[in-house]
Amino acid sequence: MYSLRLSEEQAAIRESVREFVAGEITPVATRPERLEPFDVPLAMDLVDAAGALGLRTLALAEEAGGAGADMLTCCLVAEELAAGDVDVASVLGWTSVLGGLLFNELMTDGQRARFVGDFTADNRYHLALADREEGMATALGIDYHRATADRFGIATTATRDAGGDWVVNGTKTRIANAPVAKLFAVLVQAGDAPAILLVPADTAGVAVTETPRDGGWYHGALGDVMFTDCVVPAANALGPGAVAKLTAPGADFIAPVLQAINLGVGRAAYDAAVEYSGVRVQGGRRIIEHQAIGAKLAEIAINLETVRNAIWRAAWVADNPDAASDGNAPPLPLAKISQVVTAERVYRATKDSAECFGAMGVMRDMPLQKYIHVSRVFLHTGDGVSDAKLRIAEAIAGHVRG
Amino acid sequence: MDFSLSQEQRAWQAKARRFADEEIRPISLERDRICDPVAAFDWEIIKKGSRLGLRTAAVEKARGGPGIDFVTQALVMAELARADSAISKTFSQCWKWTHLIQSACTEEQKQRFLPAFLADDTFVMGSGSTEPSSGSDNRLPPDDVKAGMKLRAERDGDDWILNGSKLFIANGSIARLFFVTARTDPSVPMAEGTTRFLVPRDTPGFRHGKVFNKSGWHVYQNAELIFEDARVPDVNRVGPVNGPAGSFRGDLGGDIFGDLELAANGLGICDDALDKAIAAVTAREQRSPPLKDQQLVQLKIGRMKMLTEALRSYVLRVAWEHDAGIRTHNAGLAMNLSTDIIQEMSETAMAIFERAGKAMNPAIDKLVRDSFIWSHLAGDTVQRLKIARRLLRH
Repeated sequence: MYSLRLSEEQAAIRESVREFVAGEITPVATRPERLEPFDVPLAMDLVDAAGALGLRTLALAEEAGGAGADMLTCCLVAEELAAGDVDVASVLGWTSVLGGLLFNELMTDGQRARFVGDFTADNRYHLALADREEGMATALGIDYHRATADRFGIATTATRDAGGDWVVNGTKTRIANAPVAKLFAVLVQAGDAPAILLVPADTAGVAVTETPRDGGWYHGALGDVMFTDCVVPAANALGPGAVAKLTAPGADFIAPVLQAINLGVGRAAYDAAVEYSGVRVQGGRRIIEHQAIGAKLAEIAINLETVRNAIWRAAWVADNPDAASDGNAPPLPLAKISQVVTAERVYRATKDSAECFGAMGVMRDMPLQKYIHVSRVFLHTGDGVSDAKLRIAEAIAGHVRG
Repeated sequence: MDFSLSQEQRAWQAKARRFADEEIRPISLERDRICDPVAAFDWEIIKKGSRLGLRTAAVEKARGGPGIDFVTQALVMAELARADSAISKTFSQCWKWTHLIQSACTEEQKQRFLPAFLADDTFVMGSGSTEPSSGSDNRLPPDDVKAGMKLRAERDGDDWILNGSKLFIANGSIARLFFVTARTDPSVPMAEGTTRFLVPRDTPGFRHGKVFNKSGWHVYQNAELIFEDARVPDVNRVGPVNGPAGSFRGDLGGDIFGDLELAANGLGICDDALDKAIAAVTAREQRSPPLKDQQLVQLKIGRMKMLTEALRSYVLRVAWEHDAGIRTHNAGLAMNLSTDIIQEMSETAMAIFERAGKAMNPAIDKLVRDSFIWSHLAGDTVQRLKIARRLLRH
């Protein structure tokens, strides 16, 4: 049965996160001192507080001590957290989703046994996927609809030492959660094949540099990770399926959650615009009673509802992988479709919301301009909307890469 | 129809371009990155530009100024904005109020203020209309007597006593002289009960308050103006008491010039965005072929050029109409069109500049943030409604 109804559990978790955000996060995140400066630091205490609710281990299987949340549930939580603070949502989104995938699916029993205890017990135990490198060409671009593999090229190498362990050298750049991660999943070129190695952050030869927040163009925590003759036990290599799962173009394993974070920001802007338009009087009436504003708010609502539907459908397909093969989803990359819809329409929504505020929409001590900036970063990060459309086009044409 | 520029127009355009490239460009981004808006403002660039005549360009030749025509003004504003939109606006804001002085002030007032304005490189001007409870209402005054601006001016002998405040006022923290519109009769609708005054900075009881920290036009100074029993002599009154020719009717200054000003400034943003986009797509990058060979990129560049030339045509047509003394709807329409165009231009440039694994080019981010200001000043939607209503009245 195709149901659009959230389970009781999903509704309850969404409600409790919403209450928590309204009480603990939004009042802090919207203070002028957290809005005006160009380099506001990550509010780690808010990350900790949300983590303490179980949101850091959200997707981890229940048997292992998590909430066993599926992708759709992770999207619900991400949207709620992001409506309060986008950075809190980003850090927890990455740790919870990556944690679920690594611990539930990709780790061997031995690896799980070694790492799960610390992951569940330490509220500061965050995770990061160290995949990207300077100069790594991931955009389709000129290769659109050509018979070539995705041009990837991994420069970080892992060579076997005398004892059979891996020695890792190379630098990963702009890695989400790097400054707060206690465990990295690192994409390396191990001989003639790519591989993913689990590397604890305190391993000798690992150095993290946090990306400056002023002009950094990111959400959450971001940094470079340099590996210098870093010795990693052979037993830390993930199995063969891990590379494909973790390095699909556009990070499909987490895409719906990142989009849900963007949606949460858009929703915060919209809620603010609706509230203000209902009290501000100009032209002899509350501005919500003017057609120009009413129609604008309707456009925003249409956009956000459309975005939410697209994300939830992509999340549902991620949770039901056989959906395309048994005719319940088109043979198209739905996460790419939701990427385009979300990026473009949330950006439109934050700008339209800010317009309802007149000059206040551009004042740095108010959150509207921050919502616009955040959604702008989402729109123009990664390989972008044009690249996503080309990937969708290749799927439409049935073109297979490689 | 002759679209060519005169030698004098070309000379001013070249002078402005040289100043923009040599003086404004080198400091534009570093100023925008100073968080405190007061510290971000650069007096040196104002003085340098002033010495070239850029601050006083609208003062008539008969009064010792450059007296450039509107087409030249449009060309200069665009050239300066091509390097930095907010700095261009700081200069042209002085022309806006120069135009109003020259069209609405008495000879005595002109003699009192214009020479000082000409002589001092740091003399900039502003105008106060917007208040906390009336932004759009000042531009489209409702009939309700309680609506509209509240700054009160009460007659006291040869003076007026002003009480109240203005908000978001351009050049509010740095201007030497302001046009201030105040409520002189609160018992009638705003359109019939306001009067305009010239308020020098050193007027007793007058000061500026908060300087606003803005996401775009960051270096452009917007501030609160505070009037506490501020005493303004009646000889500083501009126009009749409760005159219908207030700040929102058609003088040659104010909104008439202001519409051309924003459209021309926007044209500069377009030229800069297009230049940067073309440079980006033709650059050779490591490990990938130049972007310019891709169809989607070509379509974007082509459209950017189309929008830029369309705006250029409209801007110069409006400027020509101003020079010819022809009054049409085009000024306001050009301004509204420039809002839409510069946002599409700067955001398309941003799409061209996006790279996986890289932060956005800060100059492009600035263009987008500056472009978004157009939606938040001069009552964007209200402006569009006003023009439509005027059209429909005939």
